[in-house]
Amino acid sequence: MKVVTVGAGVAAAEFVETLRNEGFRGEIVMISAEGFPPYSPCVMPFFLAGDPLETAYWKGADFYDRLGVTPRLGDPVVEVDDGKVRTASGAVETFDRLLYAPGSKDRYPEPSWLGVHGVFGFKTLSDLTAIDRHIRETGVRRAVIFGGGFIGVDAALALWHRGLQVTVVHRNNRLLSRMTDEEGGKFATRLLAERTGIEVRLETRVTAVNARDGALASVDLTDGTWIETPLLIVATGVTPESGPLTGADQGVAVDEALRFDPRVYAAGDVAVTPHAVDGRPGLYALFPNAVEQARVAARHLVRGEGAYPGSVDANVLRKHVDFPVVSAGRFEGEPLTWQDADRFRRVYLKDGRINGYMLVGDMAAAGYLHRLYLEQTPAEREVSGLLSDTAGTSYYRRAVGLAGR
Amino acid sequence: MRKIFVDYTRCVACKGCEIACAVEHHPSRSLADLVGDGRTQVNVRVLAVEHEAFPVSCRHCDPAWCMAACPAGAISRDPVTGAVILDQARCKACGMCAMVCPFDAIAFKVTHASPGGRETAFKCDLCSHRVREGRLPACVEACHSGALAFREHEEVRRDRATRNLREYLLGERALPDTFALYRELRRKEFARRGEPAP
Ligand SMILES: Cc1cc2nc3c(=O)[nH]c(=O)nc-3n(C[C@H](O)[C@H](O)[C@H](O)COP(=O)(O)OP(=O)(O)OC[C@H]3O[C@@H](n4cnc5c(N)ncnc54)[C@H](O)[C@@H]3O)c2cc1C
Ligand code: SF4
Ligand code: SF4
Repeated sequence: MKVVTVGAGVAAAEFVETLRNEGFRGEIVMISAEGFPPYSPCVMPFFLAGDPLETAYWKGADFYDRLGVTPRLGDPVVEVDDGKVRTASGAVETFDRLLYAPGSKDRYPEPSWLGVHGVFGFKTLSDLTAIDRHIRETGVRRAVIFGGGFIGVDAALALWHRGLQVTVVHRNNRLLSRMTDEEGGKFATRLLAERTGIEVRLETRVTAVNARDGALASVDLTDGTWIETPLLIVATGVTPESGPLTGADQGVAVDEALRFDPRVYAAGDVAVTPHAVDGRPGLYALFPNAVEQARVAARHLVRGEGAYPGSVDANVLRKHVDFPVVSAGRFEGEPLTWQDADRFRRVYLKDGRINGYMLVGDMAAAGYLHRLYLEQTPAEREVSGLLSDTAGTSYYRRAVGLAGR
Repeated sequence: MRKIFVDYTRCVACKGCEIACAVEHHPSRSLADLVGDGRTQVNVRVLAVEHEAFPVSCRHCDPAWCMAACPAGAISRDPVTGAVILDQARCKACGMCAMVCPFDAIAFKVTHASPGGRETAFKCDLCSHRVREGRLPACVEACHSGALAFREHEEVRRDRATRNLREYLLGERALPDTFALYRELRRKEFARRGEPAP
């Protein structure tokens, strides 16, 4: 049997490694738009901040050799059809089983901006190596990030850590707006601005980029002002790369074994999966989900059994800083809040169970909260103690109580 | 595999385990060098839970939540001891592991093993280097009250053990009189002061 993967990212690499661990000895071909060993997008911002590039290759730079894989790199897949994939260069690869895992791609408000030297996305290692080169070659000291979601803030922190003067332009009234509710998000935004010195321009958008001799010189903002900068990073959102498989960019619907059809599995940022707690289908584009989906798909391929338990939307931003922003679930229900000058914690309860939560500033008891949330344990009585727990003893308090001594 | 079990009713909060762990994980392996060293790494914490004291550390889950969440490939399983090992040289301190660890067993600081003077995550490594040589983990060896024990963990209970701390509690042995007296005094002291015992 011959297995092909579209993409050589997190899901594809985990899939291939699981296949081999499960004893699959057949031929494996990995096709990627880029030319790298599998890399972890979560880790690549550290490369921009100064870490060696190799640390982004989280399964090792020798991955293809080690796992006996034929890589076909630097040639994106444009079409999947009836047991064949076709790439941009016209090459055709046949398969018995396919893992479709090309992730998602940046969505630019103005695609023409990318023609300007000095404007970049922040989605792939190709983007980041190009940004790194631009900074080194032209001695960039100043950067503007358009988009203050997770990836935009991640980019801002990496460049700030590298020593650049950074401005984040964000259309919402707080950074990380999808990870936070209004109050929690404003708290996180204030902490971030105060502790790092990153300038934050809220309820503002970039309307135009101005070039001088083909290179970026400044950006115009909706409030009528402009910022002179040789570097603009656009991180305003992503779209699943489902086009080559489905002809549309809505993601790939899969069954409980991550199958799109009897021969094609899909996993990672491109897959539409149910939420582990409330079952709502969606694009839960996070590292642990990509890993778990890839494992379920690979085991299913080998053993013909297994089901995906659903995706989790728990996420944390804690890169280059010591004040994490953690969030999971839905911000609906009865809010319970604890805060001091440095920390903000809020849990949303629904029917006595945790429906969503946010922790800004530290992570004491974060793991216990995560478990109560996932298992939907009745938590009404515990939550207030948990929120004000600064020593991380909640779990053990309960264990001691339960042990009945 | 063998794991560390806890009988907290016997813990007298002497913190011998913490000190033994700090020495074991210090580059010089010397008690004297711990003094005033902010990079000291202590993988076990004796928590004060009201009048009880509870030595807390990683439970080496299988499957391990932290390992599945780490996007840097920094967490792996020791093939010999079964311990879940966090390689600080590869850690980015991104917090993904701590977010999902059901036992809140992961902490962050600049330790002697952190690269480039940057904060990293750290946790118990089950003293795998000692266990490979047939020795006990340092904390277990240092615990003279019998609150920590290193024993075989039943394979069949593996799944429950990734969620339930009670899997790791020992309590079948009768408590000696001196322990019972000590516990009673602590409870009273706690009630009197209305704050956690150290
Ligand atoms: C900057 C950044 C930081 C992040 N930080 C975190 C974090 O801290 N925590 C977290 O949980 N998640 C984080 N994520 C999200 C996480 O990286 C993704 O959820 C995960 O990588 C998804 O895996 P995947 O395999 O679906 O996609 P990817 O890992 O993106 O891999 C997709 C691969 O497919 C290739 N490809 C794309 N199009 C094609 C095509 N047409 N043909 C062939 N190959 C193609 C790409 O080159 C790439 O190699 C971050 C993402 C980014 C961009
Ligand atoms: S207790 Fe926490 S740190 Fe230890 S293996 Fe389990 S999840 Fe990982
Ligand atoms: S903090 Fe370190 S060990 Fe934990 S998930 Fe991040 S990189 Fe991995």
